[in-house]
Amino acid sequence: MDQPAGSPLVVLEGVNKSFGPLHVLKDIDLQVGRGEVLVVIGPSGSGKSTMCRCINRLETVDSGRVLVDGQELPREGKALARLRADIGMVFQSFNLFAHMSVLDNVTLGPIKVRGVAKAEARERGRALLTRVGIGDKADAMPAQLSGGQQQRAAIARALAMQPKLMLFDEPTSALDPEYISEVLDVMRGLAEEGMTMVVVTHEMGFARSAGNRVAFMDGGRIVEVAPPEQFFNAPESPRARDFLGKILTH
Amino acid sequence: MGLSTITDNLDVYVEGFVGTVTLTALGAAGALALGTALAAMRVSPVATLRAGGLLYVETLRNCPLPVLVVLMAFGLPKLGETFLWSFFAYGAVAIALYHAAFVCEAVRSGIGSVSTGQGEAARSLGLPFGQVLRLVVLPQAFRTVIPPLGNVLIALTKNTSVVALIDVTDITNNTELIINDTVDPIFAVLGSACAYLLLTLPMGLLVGRLEKRAAFAR
Amino acid sequence: MRLRTAAALAALALTLTACGGGDEQGDLGSGTPDTKPTFEAGTTMARIQSAGVLKVGTKFDQPLYGEKQLSGDVEGFDVNVAKILADELGVQPEFTEAVSKNREPFIQNGTVDIVVATYTINDKRKQVIDFAGPYYVTGQSIMVKKDDSAITDKAGLAGKRVCSVEGSTPAERIKTEVPTAKLTTFDTYGKCAEALKNGQTDAVTTDEAILLGLVSKSPEDFQVVGEPFSEEPYGIGLKKGDQPFRDFLNDTLEKAYEDGRWEKALKDTVGTVQDQLPSPPPVDRYTAAG
Ligand SMILES: Nc1ncnc2c1ncn2[C@@H]1O[C@H](COP(=O)(O)OP(=O)(O)OP(=O)(O)O)[C@@H](O)[C@H]1O
Ligand SMILES: [Mg+2]
Repeated sequence: MDQPAGSPLVVLEGVNKSFGPLHVLKDIDLQVGRGEVLVVIGPSGSGKSTMCRCINRLETVDSGRVLVDGQELPREGKALARLRADIGMVFQSFNLFAHMSVLDNVTLGPIKVRGVAKAEARERGRALLTRVGIGDKADAMPAQLSGGQQQRAAIARALAMQPKLMLFDEPTSALDPEYISEVLDVMRGLAEEGMTMVVVTHEMGFARSAGNRVAFMDGGRIVEVAPPEQFFNAPESPRARDFLGKILTH
Repeated sequence: MGLSTITDNLDVYVEGFVGTVTLTALGAAGALALGTALAAMRVSPVATLRAGGLLYVETLRNCPLPVLVVLMAFGLPKLGETFLWSFFAYGAVAIALYHAAFVCEAVRSGIGSVSTGQGEAARSLGLPFGQVLRLVVLPQAFRTVIPPLGNVLIALTKNTSVVALIDVTDITNNTELIINDTVDPIFAVLGSACAYLLLTLPMGLLVGRLEKRAAFAR
Repeated sequence: MRLRTAAALAALALTLTACGGGDEQGDLGSGTPDTKPTFEAGTTMARIQSAGVLKVGTKFDQPLYGEKQLSGDVEGFDVNVAKILADELGVQPEFTEAVSKNREPFIQNGTVDIVVATYTINDKRKQVIDFAGPYYVTGQSIMVKKDDSAITDKAGLAGKRVCSVEGSTPAERIKTEVPTAKLTTFDTYGKCAEALKNGQTDAVTTDEAILLGLVSKSPEDFQVVGEPFSEEPYGIGLKKGDQPFRDFLNDTLEKAYEDGRWEKALKDTVGTVQDQLPSPPPVDRYTAAG
């Protein structure tokens, strides 16, 4: 594994996680450097989402440690909430707050968590929405937006917190094909600006072009971590070869 | 005897009606506040809070209200001067405590109807548990909670009649006075039924209205 | 709680026939408790006999008069009186709890045949039901805490918190005779006693007989003060207009007065806490009002 220079932003050490009898994460060791874009791929049920959710503690770990910016995430309570504020999360199903306008979705965190003045939060929120290309939808309700627009709004909501790290859990999997690229474009832009990102995706094109490294998971383990060129052209493990073979025939 | 049993005692009914309205208002306010807090306990990430909420709900829900009222009215004073209240206070508090358990379950089921993703998104923003509930989950739960809450409220209104057991002025207690005075239980009770309907029917309509309003407000 | 309509109608029909007959039951007085007496068909007595039980409404929470024991049996003077009446009919008594406010409806609906439940005879009640008896006379009195010397008589209740049972004669009397008293009425005397213990009321007032029963339960907490200030004749409630049945009940009472059964019934119950027992009051065969 080649390590990026400087202290890593995210460190997973010996992480194990089970859902009842199901051992979902097995001895996960992983580091994500500052400004790095790590793409996580692997077959369905391999534990990608779970690992992603462990990083901001939407899932608790059974053993091992998760550190973000050198700090271990506390179990619960206010301290955990504070650290979570620095980690943006984008979900497959968008999860925009259904009872609020798009702009209110984007300003809620800054106002309530960061204590930003309302007017300022709204101004910055509008700017962010413009940046992701839906400035005109600020006052719409989430249900009035297309999937692509909703996901871009969700990204804007996460960005509004000015996070150190962004987690994406299959952000385009629930989208109709015509909307996928507009979301990936926003993510690419973020990567170019130097945002640290962990992206779980099946979009191999994105992994190749925007990823610094690719982590391949199977059966709850990280089987292989490599730069995209190396991973896609000459995967080391037979399981990765098998997986790529299946994907690329589709 | 007959209709005059009702018409001759209108003032007694009115006095009882005021009592029932007051008890209903106080009981409902208390039950809503405590019940929502209990629901928050029952979905909180802290195991002891969850257990406490469950214990409360199961105990109160399975204790007949008349038992609770009499137990409080005659049991609490034994704990000392601080607990020597008026019978009205025992009645109102017992009604609030009892129905809080039902409010809790209604609110909790409402919370369950909001997709978990909503809460996860809110937590990811760094909102603490209380704000996740208050700003994101409860406002969306509100819509599904209105019908069951309405039922709890109407049940509460009718259940206020237990205070007659401890001689608190309400429709039922005053109806008993009228029965004793007129020895005409049938019409006296018909009168009290009208008095309760006067209260619960508008409530039902109001709940229906709120339900419609909430349905559109999305 | 409510009797099925059919049964109520049947009872009503029987009562009507009985009234229509209007016969004297002449051969009754000479009947002995051992031989099963016979009654004219259509009378309430005949109906009860064929049913095999006398349904009696009585208090279940009234020490010395009608109190349900942990064993499930109901015991007390009222219960004993009801047993005498059932014996005379050659049937078993079956006891149903009648709280003060239920007594008239129970009789009117036919839920019970008779009510023997510290039931004071008064004119208002006579408008809806009839009374046999009286079989016992007591008077209203006052019970206070053992350590209370402030209240010694009725006048002392002025401005005080007083507890009694709703729908009872003593409660009504306090309302008219001591209007400044703050009256609380519960459905049972047990609650009044508890309230007195807790300091939620200053006094409990009702028939002395009942108060003595309460004192017998906790002699270290309560005391009865002053002289009785009323006459409370206890009667046996029955359906209004059932003259043959009322005559039968009155005849039976008089018989029990004479053969010592009444005295024994009283001695075994009230006699355990009161030394001087009253003599039986003459029954009042009043002419029923419309
Ligand atoms: N909350 C849960 N309770 C029980 N089992 C769970 C839970 N969440 C996930 N699992 C199980 O854990 C395993 C890993 O799930 P995970 O969602 O991490 O996989 P994934 O790699 O993201 O798959 P996909 O590509 O289908 O999203 C799966 O077998 C899944 O069924
Ligand atoms: Mg997944």
